[in-house]
Amino acid sequence: MMVPVRCFTCGNVVAEHWEEFDERANEGDEDPEAVLDELGVERYCCRRMLVSHRDLVDVVSPYQ
Amino acid sequence: MTAEYDVEFVETGDRKARFLVRGVTPAFANGLRRAMVADVPTMAIDEVRFIENSSVMFDEQLALRLGLVPLSTPPEGEFVDDDTVTLSIDVEGPGTAYSGDLVSSDGLVQPADENVPIIDLKDDQRLEAEADAVIERGKNHAKHQGGVAVGYRHLQRVTVDGDLPEFEDEQSRIVRGVIEDDGELIPTSEFDDDLSNRYPGKEVHVEDVPNAFVFHVETDGSFTVAELVTRAVDTLEARATELEEAVQL
Repeated sequence: MMVPVRCFTCGNVVAEHWEEFDERANEGDEDPEAVLDELGVERYCCRRMLVSHRDLVDVVSPYQ
Repeated sequence: MTAEYDVEFVETGDRKARFLVRGVTPAFANGLRRAMVADVPTMAIDEVRFIENSSVMFDEQLALRLGLVPLSTPPEGEFVDDDTVTLSIDVEGPGTAYSGDLVSSDGLVQPADENVPIIDLKDDQRLEAEADAVIERGKNHAKHQGGVAVGYRHLQRVTVDGDLPEFEDEQSRIVRGVIEDDGELIPTSEFDDDLSNRYPGKEVHVEDVPNAFVFHVETDGSFTVAELVTRAVDTLEARATELEEAVQL
């Protein structure tokens, strides 16, 4: 639903980069690889946390 | 241990560093790694009392998210095992509740990252909660783990044996970590992890330097790398002293 706070595998805090990543790579048209490099998310375990995430709050909120 | 003990930094940063330790046994190097991951106490939220939660997520889910937010950990000795620090959060929608909205009752314990989204709140939704942070060890719960991706590998020594035969094709030779060349420490990322870039046309061989380990340490922001390593060494020392006392006649 919300982006996981930490990487499942290594425990690095990834959520703090989510909003910028979402804005630049998902909403915008920047290359996700370049954005992640710039944000300092190095390992592929942390990268998949952001790349594969989908925010669902907007989808569920009408059924509250 | 007879070999000279020595520490040298390869890369330094607040949250990420690489350093070389010489003159320790593999067992000690691993002991240090394990102490960094599991034995250094850090603060984290452990209990949350919800006053109002009308968001789309359950109380338990939000409590987990709050627990995973790294908190700055006060100097050693400032807090003992059963001490708690209360943090409160009160955010009304529309908007997002961030870890930075947590208000701490103690200036020493603050969220280390302020940009972690806790929950997205819509119109008329509200999150109000009180949370107790406790000081605990990584072996009890991953949220208390101060060291992230802590590891080490042998320092590698590269020696040039001579030139490659004239008509032989050059092959890439991938090495990762840090190499030693004439006493100089070079991270392999400097030559794209490929020895054939650094020694073109040369025949080289790579060997591990005995009892020299390059540690790679990152922290979650609870404290600096230097702090984490010294505290890990302190816990090792405390345990060794405890053992010594316990087995005395």
